[in-house]
Amino acid sequence: MTVWPAIWLTLKLAFVTTAILLAIALPLAWWLTTTRSRLRPVIEAITTLPLVLPPTVLGFYLLILMSPTAPFGALWLSVTGDTLTFSFTGLVIASLVYSLPFAVQPLQTAFASVPRPTMDAARTLGATPRDAFLTVALPLARRGFLTAGVLTFAHTVGEFGVVLMVGGNIPGRTRVISIEIFTAVETLDYATAHVLSLGLLAFSFCVLMLVYVFNRRGALRVA
Amino acid sequence: MFTLEAEESLPMQGVTAISGPSGSGKTSLLRALAGLDMDVTGERRVTFCNKEWDGPGGHVPAHERRIGFVFQDPHLFPHLSVAGNIGYGAKRRQVTSLDAIVEALDLGPLLDRGIDGLSGGEARRVALARALASDPAVLFLDEPMTGLDSQRKSEFLPYIARAVSQARVPALYVSHSSDEVVTLADRVLELGQGHVTGWRTPPMRLAAHVVAETGPGVEVRLDGAEADGPGSSIALPLRALPGEAVGIGLPVESVQFSVHHPGAGSAIMVLPVTVTRPAGAEGQAVLDVLGQSVTVPGVMRVPAGKTLWMSVLRVLPRPMIVDSSL
Repeated sequence: MTVWPAIWLTLKLAFVTTAILLAIALPLAWWLTTTRSRLRPVIEAITTLPLVLPPTVLGFYLLILMSPTAPFGALWLSVTGDTLTFSFTGLVIASLVYSLPFAVQPLQTAFASVPRPTMDAARTLGATPRDAFLTVALPLARRGFLTAGVLTFAHTVGEFGVVLMVGGNIPGRTRVISIEIFTAVETLDYATAHVLSLGLLAFSFCVLMLVYVFNRRGALRVA
Repeated sequence: MFTLEAEESLPMQGVTAISGPSGSGKTSLLRALAGLDMDVTGERRVTFCNKEWDGPGGHVPAHERRIGFVFQDPHLFPHLSVAGNIGYGAKRRQVTSLDAIVEALDLGPLLDRGIDGLSGGEARRVALARALASDPAVLFLDEPMTGLDSQRKSEFLPYIARAVSQARVPALYVSHSSDEVVTLADRVLELGQGHVTGWRTPPMRLAAHVVAETGPGVEVRLDGAEADGPGSSIALPLRALPGEAVGIGLPVESVQFSVHHPGAGSAIMVLPVTVTRPAGAEGQAVLDVLGQSVTVPGVMRVPAGKTLWMSVLRVLPRPMIVDSSL
């Protein structure tokens, strides 16, 4: 079986995406929770769009954006000497967009449950807003942080449409597990399709169970 | 939308109670002073000890105001231990010794505990200690006993009094309970529907001196009382030495007036009083009690010079006076 390159590539993509996305989602979710800006519904809607858009639509626009003839794609080409389309970097950028709601929403929910007066207490005790965020809001929202990380990772592992649109089907470079399964079925290699599908199914189930078990325990501890 | 209009100078000495019906803006006033609601609109000028906190020159952020804020609910940090909670502000204000605060609030045995298992009264003591430990220039207490039953309240009240007097910080105390006002406040600022309606002297105060220690508390005699006369021997749950001055608060609902001597009954003491000034438009009458002048709320339709009997069912100690005389 030659499924290992696909598995390795998928895990690499999921790890890189999760790490970058948590760094982006953390300030974004905090801003969405605390701001009174009129822009908030707009930003919130944009953040949630990848959840409802067909992956083909998302992938199509990303493909257009990344193509060497578009300003963004051209800039990338001139800076790095590499095209974004059909590359691992292109996949990471696409995954960042695609999985954004899965990172932002759990964090936003967690931050919203941090009581305002608890943050006020930290402020009156001499903590700057940044200090209060790091020492009070973040520790209290740690379950949301874990949920966001796990869901982002799992969702990135399971992505198909966007990857196919942006990355195509290049073995070892853009061929992730879900595309490997698609290819296997197309070539009537059901044995490989079975192994990979069952693997993804088991993985997804375990991940979700982990999230629920952890959240249940946390809830009990807080109460 | 809520509008709060207040233009007052608050004396930064002792305890100033802010009283008024719910919705009158008590909490909003404290939060505005503390700089916690920075997005409020309108003009706001706060000067604290000749330092401008809010004004044309800008705003001092909440974390630089040195206000020890005790909220209605304790709002402790659930991820920190009791010691971690108390140390949070202390660490940021370079306060090193917390022993006095921990001792005054009897928190020693709780220090290593998490905050999950604390009782309501314990959590409030921790919240108070946390605020005091941050070396505040002024203490804001926003109905810190909300949600406690009357038993817990009477246990917690002396802690507040002791802590406030020991830390020697002025305090603004929001309350609508007359018991708390009687016990703690040196003066009362009345708020109604978003504006200041006036200043009031806390009612029903009597001065006394400690006669003897009685193990759990002390026995005091009202100033002006005869050695064996009424008011000569009142037990108070208080730590004080013989000879020390003690303030006694009489909760409004525990005092009854009658024309004829009512008999001892369940009263702690029955005192003869003379009306010095009948209640006017402001609703406060002044009585002479054993030579002491006492303000009484409520409209008493009794002419000046008339003698009445005052039955007192319950008294509250006021340890503030002991400490402030040091």
